[in-house]
Amino acid sequence: MFSPDTHVLVVDDMMTMRKLVTKTCKELGFSKITDAADGALAWAAIQQADPPIGLIISDWNMPNTSGLDLLKRVRADSRFGKIPFIMVTAEAEQHQIMEAVKSGVSNYVIKPFTAEVLKEKLEVVHKKISAA
Amino acid sequence: MPQLDASFFRPFIEGTLKTLKVQCKTDAFHESPFFKGMKTEPVFAIAGVIDIASVTFTGRISLCFPEPVFLGMMERMLEESFPEITLELQDGVAELLNMIFGQAKVTLNEQGHTIQKAIPTVVRDNTLNTPIGKTVVLPFKTDLGVFHIEIRSDS
Repeated sequence: MFSPDTHVLVVDDMMTMRKLVTKTCKELGFSKITDAADGALAWAAIQQADPPIGLIISDWNMPNTSGLDLLKRVRADSRFGKIPFIMVTAEAEQHQIMEAVKSGVSNYVIKPFTAEVLKEKLEVVHKKISAA
Repeated sequence: MPQLDASFFRPFIEGTLKTLKVQCKTDAFHESPFFKGMKTEPVFAIAGVIDIASVTFTGRISLCFPEPVFLGMMERMLEESFPEITLELQDGVAELLNMIFGQAKVTLNEQGHTIQKAIPTVVRDNTLNTPIGKTVVLPFKTDLGVFHIEIRSDS
Protein backbone atom coordinates (compact mmCIF):
# COMPACT_ATOMS: atom_id res chain seq x y z
CA MET A 1 0.00 0.00 0.00
CA PHE A 2 1.05 3.63 -0.46
CA SER A 3 2.97 5.19 2.41
CA PRO A 4 0.78 7.28 4.73
CA ASP A 5 3.23 10.14 4.05
CA THR A 6 2.26 10.22 0.37
CA HIS A 7 1.04 13.69 -0.58
CA VAL A 8 -2.42 13.17 -2.06
CA LEU A 9 -4.12 15.67 -4.38
CA VAL A 10 -7.93 15.45 -4.44
CA VAL A 11 -9.57 17.20 -7.39
CA ASP A 12 -13.31 17.77 -7.68
CA ASP A 13 -15.48 20.77 -8.51
CA MET A 14 -18.05 19.70 -5.89
CA MET A 15 -17.14 20.59 -2.31
CA THR A 16 -19.08 17.66 -0.89
CA MET A 17 -17.13 15.21 -3.06
CA ARG A 18 -13.79 16.78 -2.09
CA LYS A 19 -14.84 16.33 1.54
CA LEU A 20 -15.94 12.76 0.93
CA VAL A 21 -12.76 11.72 -0.89
CA THR A 22 -10.58 13.54 1.66
CA LYS A 23 -12.41 11.83 4.54
CA THR A 24 -11.96 8.47 2.80
CA CYS A 25 -8.23 9.12 2.29
CA LYS A 26 -7.86 9.95 5.99
CA GLU A 27 -9.65 6.70 6.86
CA LEU A 28 -7.06 4.92 4.72
CA GLY A 29 -4.25 6.54 6.72
CA PHE A 30 -3.13 9.42 4.52
CA SER A 31 -2.32 12.59 6.44
CA LYS A 32 -1.00 15.01 3.80
CA ILE A 33 -3.93 15.86 1.54
CA THR A 34 -4.36 18.89 -0.70
CA ASP A 35 -7.53 19.62 -2.64
CA ALA A 36 -8.36 21.58 -5.77
CA ALA A 37 -11.72 22.62 -7.21
CA ASP A 38 -10.86 22.18 -10.88
CA GLY A 39 -8.23 20.91 -13.27
CA ALA A 40 -6.49 24.27 -13.65
CA LEU A 41 -6.10 24.73 -9.89
CA ALA A 42 -4.94 21.14 -9.64
CA TRP A 43 -2.25 21.73 -12.26
CA ALA A 44 -1.00 24.75 -10.30
CA ALA A 45 -0.96 22.68 -7.09
CA ILE A 46 0.99 19.89 -8.79
CA GLN A 47 3.69 22.32 -9.91
CA GLN A 48 3.99 24.07 -6.55
CA ALA A 49 3.50 21.20 -4.10
CA ASP A 50 6.08 20.62 -1.38
CA PRO A 51 6.46 17.75 -0.70
CA PRO A 52 5.69 16.75 -4.29
CA ILE A 53 2.33 15.19 -5.10
CA GLY A 54 2.58 11.40 -4.95
CA LEU A 55 -1.00 10.46 -5.82
CA ILE A 56 -3.80 12.22 -7.70
CA ILE A 57 -7.45 11.32 -7.14
CA SER A 58 -9.55 13.31 -9.59
CA ASP A 59 -13.15 13.64 -10.68
CA TRP A 60 -13.70 13.29 -14.42
CA ASN A 61 -16.73 15.47 -15.08
CA MET A 62 -15.73 19.05 -14.23
CA PRO A 63 -16.40 22.32 -16.04
CA ASN A 64 -13.50 24.01 -17.89
CA THR A 65 -10.59 21.59 -17.37
CA SER A 66 -11.96 18.05 -17.00
CA GLY A 67 -10.26 15.21 -15.15
CA LEU A 68 -9.34 13.70 -18.50
CA ASP A 69 -7.71 16.97 -19.62
CA LEU A 70 -5.76 17.06 -16.35
CA LEU A 71 -4.67 13.45 -16.79
CA LYS A 72 -3.38 14.14 -20.31
CA ARG A 73 -1.52 17.22 -19.10
CA VAL A 74 0.13 15.30 -16.25
CA ARG A 75 1.10 12.38 -18.47
CA ALA A 76 2.58 14.72 -21.09
CA ASP A 77 4.93 16.39 -18.59
CA SER A 78 8.12 14.45 -17.84
CA ARG A 79 8.32 15.97 -14.32
CA PHE A 80 4.95 14.54 -13.28
CA GLY A 81 4.20 11.88 -15.87
CA LYS A 82 4.63 8.96 -13.48
CA ILE A 83 2.38 10.20 -10.66
CA PRO A 84 -0.31 7.57 -9.99
CA PHE A 85 -3.65 8.99 -11.19
CA ILE A 86 -7.00 7.59 -10.03
CA MET A 87 -10.12 8.82 -11.82
CA VAL A 88 -13.27 8.96 -9.73
CA THR A 89 -16.26 9.05 -12.00
CA ALA A 90 -19.98 8.46 -12.27
CA GLU A 91 -19.35 7.52 -15.92
CA ALA A 92 -19.38 3.73 -15.96
CA GLU A 93 -19.68 3.19 -19.71
CA GLN A 94 -17.04 0.97 -21.24
CA HIS A 95 -15.94 3.39 -23.97
CA GLN A 96 -15.32 6.12 -21.38
CA ILE A 97 -13.25 3.81 -19.20
CA MET A 98 -11.26 2.79 -22.29
CA GLU A 99 -10.64 6.46 -23.11
CA ALA A 100 -9.21 7.03 -19.64
CA VAL A 101 -7.05 3.90 -19.85
CA LYS A 102 -5.74 5.01 -23.26
CA SER A 103 -4.82 8.37 -21.74
CA GLY A 104 -2.78 6.69 -19.01
CA VAL A 105 -5.08 6.52 -15.98
CA SER A 106 -3.68 4.24 -13.27
CA ASN A 107 -7.10 3.06 -12.11
CA TYR A 108 -10.64 4.31 -11.81
CA VAL A 109 -13.37 4.31 -9.17
CA ILE A 110 -17.02 4.34 -10.17
CA LYS A 111 -19.28 6.43 -7.94
CA PRO A 112 -20.98 5.64 -5.61
CA PHE A 113 -18.05 4.05 -3.78
CA THR A 114 -16.90 2.97 -0.33
CA ALA A 115 -13.53 3.34 1.42
CA GLU A 116 -12.94 -0.38 0.80
CA VAL A 117 -13.33 0.08 -2.96
CA LEU A 118 -10.88 2.98 -3.04
CA LYS A 119 -8.43 0.97 -0.94
CA GLU A 120 -8.62 -2.01 -3.34
CA LYS A 121 -8.01 0.26 -6.34
CA LEU A 122 -5.03 1.89 -4.61
CA GLU A 123 -3.55 -1.49 -3.75
CA VAL A 124 -3.78 -2.57 -7.40
CA VAL A 125 -2.00 0.62 -8.49
CA HIS A 126 0.68 0.23 -5.85
CA LYS A 127 1.34 -3.39 -6.89
CA LYS A 128 1.69 -2.30 -10.53
CA ILE A 129 4.19 0.41 -9.56
CA SER A 130 6.16 -1.93 -7.31
CA ALA A 131 6.35 -4.56 -10.06
CA ALA A 132 7.52 -2.09 -12.71
CA MET B 1 -45.75 10.05 -23.86
CA PRO B 2 -43.99 6.80 -24.80
CA GLN B 3 -40.63 7.98 -23.48
CA LEU B 4 -41.83 7.87 -19.89
CA ASP B 5 -42.55 4.18 -19.64
CA ALA B 6 -41.22 1.90 -16.91
CA SER B 7 -38.15 0.86 -18.90
CA PHE B 8 -37.10 4.51 -19.00
CA PHE B 9 -37.57 5.42 -15.36
CA ARG B 10 -36.67 2.07 -13.73
CA PRO B 11 -32.89 2.70 -14.15
CA PHE B 12 -33.32 5.92 -12.17
CA ILE B 13 -35.07 4.03 -9.36
CA GLU B 14 -32.31 1.40 -9.28
CA GLY B 15 -29.59 4.06 -9.40
CA THR B 16 -31.22 5.94 -6.53
CA LEU B 17 -31.51 2.89 -4.28
CA LYS B 18 -27.87 1.93 -4.88
CA THR B 19 -26.46 5.45 -4.54
CA LEU B 20 -28.17 6.11 -1.22
CA LYS B 21 -27.29 2.67 0.13
CA VAL B 22 -23.58 2.95 -0.73
CA GLN B 23 -22.90 6.67 -0.28
CA CYS B 24 -25.37 7.65 2.44
CA LYS B 25 -25.78 4.30 4.21
CA THR B 26 -29.53 4.68 3.80
CA ASP B 27 -32.10 2.15 2.65
CA ALA B 28 -34.63 3.82 0.38
CA PHE B 29 -37.88 2.23 -0.75
CA HIS B 30 -39.65 3.33 -3.89
CA GLU B 31 -43.39 3.83 -4.02
CA SER B 32 -45.75 3.87 -7.02
CA PRO B 33 -44.85 6.46 -9.66
CA PHE B 34 -47.56 8.93 -10.68
CA PHE B 35 -48.03 11.76 -13.12
CA LYS B 36 -47.59 15.16 -11.51
CA GLY B 37 -50.97 16.69 -10.76
CA MET B 38 -52.65 13.37 -9.97
CA LYS B 39 -51.73 13.53 -6.27
CA THR B 40 -50.75 16.24 -3.80
CA GLU B 41 -47.61 17.85 -5.15
CA PRO B 42 -44.55 16.91 -3.09
CA VAL B 43 -42.61 19.86 -1.67
CA PHE B 44 -38.86 20.17 -1.50
CA ALA B 45 -36.18 22.57 -0.30
CA ILE B 46 -33.40 21.62 -2.68
CA ALA B 47 -33.14 19.81 -6.01
CA GLY B 48 -30.40 18.64 -8.33
CA VAL B 49 -31.35 19.08 -11.98
CA ILE B 50 -29.98 17.57 -15.20
CA ASP B 51 -31.27 18.56 -18.63
CA ILE B 52 -31.17 15.78 -21.19
CA ALA B 53 -31.26 16.14 -24.96
CA SER B 54 -30.92 12.92 -26.94
CA VAL B 55 -32.42 11.47 -30.11
CA THR B 56 -35.07 9.62 -28.11
CA PHE B 57 -35.70 11.87 -25.13
CA THR B 58 -35.60 15.55 -24.35
CA GLY B 59 -36.42 16.65 -20.84
CA ARG B 60 -35.22 17.11 -17.31
CA ILE B 61 -34.42 14.86 -14.37
CA SER B 62 -34.71 16.39 -10.89
CA LEU B 63 -33.78 14.87 -7.54
CA CYS B 64 -35.78 16.71 -4.86
CA PHE B 65 -35.31 16.66 -1.08
CA PRO B 66 -37.05 18.36 1.84
CA GLU B 67 -34.41 20.08 4.00
CA PRO B 68 -34.29 17.58 6.94
CA VAL B 69 -33.97 14.62 4.57
CA PHE B 70 -31.14 16.25 2.60
CA LEU B 71 -29.29 17.28 5.77
CA GLY B 72 -29.65 13.73 7.09
CA MET B 73 -28.25 12.29 3.87
CA MET B 74 -25.27 14.67 3.95
CA GLU B 75 -24.63 13.88 7.61
CA ARG B 76 -24.46 10.17 6.80
CA MET B 77 -22.34 10.71 3.69
CA LEU B 78 -19.79 13.07 5.24
CA GLU B 79 -20.11 12.00 8.89
CA GLU B 80 -20.59 15.59 10.01
CA SER B 81 -23.75 17.29 11.19
CA PHE B 82 -25.11 20.32 9.36
CA PRO B 83 -27.74 22.64 10.89
CA GLU B 84 -28.80 24.12 7.52
CA ILE B 85 -28.23 23.91 3.78
CA THR B 86 -25.32 26.23 3.08
CA LEU B 87 -23.93 27.27 -0.30
CA GLU B 88 -21.03 24.88 0.30
CA LEU B 89 -23.28 21.96 1.14
CA GLN B 90 -25.85 22.36 -1.62
CA ASP B 91 -23.70 20.80 -4.34
CA GLY B 92 -24.23 17.49 -2.52
CA VAL B 93 -27.62 17.14 -4.18
CA ALA B 94 -26.03 17.64 -7.60
CA GLU B 95 -23.42 15.00 -6.80
CA LEU B 96 -26.02 12.45 -5.68
CA LEU B 97 -27.96 13.09 -8.90
CA ASN B 98 -24.75 12.79 -10.89
CA MET B 99 -24.18 9.32 -9.42
CA ILE B 100 -27.79 8.24 -10.06
CA PHE B 101 -27.68 9.63 -13.60
CA GLY B 102 -24.34 7.95 -14.34
CA GLN B 103 -25.76 4.54 -13.44
CA ALA B 104 -29.08 5.07 -15.23
CA LYS B 105 -27.28 6.30 -18.36
CA VAL B 106 -25.41 3.00 -18.76
CA THR B 107 -28.69 1.01 -18.80
CA LEU B 108 -30.54 3.54 -20.96
CA ASN B 109 -27.76 3.68 -23.55
CA GLU B 110 -27.74 -0.13 -23.68
CA GLN B 111 -31.45 0.19 -24.53
CA GLY B 112 -30.58 2.45 -27.46
CA HIS B 113 -30.94 5.92 -25.99
CA THR B 114 -27.95 8.07 -26.82
CA ILE B 115 -27.74 10.10 -23.66
CA GLN B 116 -24.61 12.17 -23.26
CA LYS B 117 -22.74 13.41 -20.20
CA ALA B 118 -24.35 16.37 -18.45
CA ILE B 119 -23.37 18.53 -15.49
CA PRO B 120 -26.11 18.90 -12.86
CA THR B 121 -27.20 22.21 -11.39
CA VAL B 122 -28.90 23.05 -8.07
CA VAL B 123 -32.37 24.57 -7.61
CA ARG B 124 -33.68 25.86 -4.26
CA ASP B 125 -37.12 26.54 -2.82
CA ASN B 126 -39.61 24.48 -4.79
CA THR B 127 -39.20 26.30 -8.09
CA LEU B 128 -38.89 23.58 -10.73
CA ASN B 129 -42.00 24.76 -12.62
CA THR B 130 -42.55 21.37 -14.19
CA PRO B 131 -45.67 21.21 -16.35
CA ILE B 132 -48.47 19.03 -14.97
CA GLY B 133 -49.18 15.96 -17.06
CA LYS B 134 -45.75 15.81 -18.69
CA THR B 135 -43.89 14.91 -15.52
CA VAL B 136 -43.64 11.56 -13.77
CA VAL B 137 -42.95 11.65 -10.03
CA LEU B 138 -40.98 8.76 -8.52
CA PRO B 139 -41.54 8.89 -4.74
CA PHE B 140 -39.16 7.30 -2.22
CA LYS B 141 -39.41 6.63 1.49
CA THR B 142 -36.49 6.41 3.97
CA ASP B 143 -36.09 6.50 7.75
CA LEU B 144 -35.10 10.17 7.32
CA GLY B 145 -38.35 11.01 5.50
CA VAL B 146 -39.63 11.10 1.94
CA PHE B 147 -38.07 12.56 -1.21
CA HIS B 148 -38.74 12.21 -4.92
CA ILE B 149 -37.39 12.29 -8.46
CA GLU B 150 -39.22 14.11 -11.25
CA ILE B 151 -38.78 13.09 -14.87
CA ARG B 152 -40.11 15.77 -17.20
CA SER B 153 -40.59 15.08 -20.87
CA ASP B 154 -40.31 17.94 -23.36
CA SER B 155 -40.36 15.57 -26.35
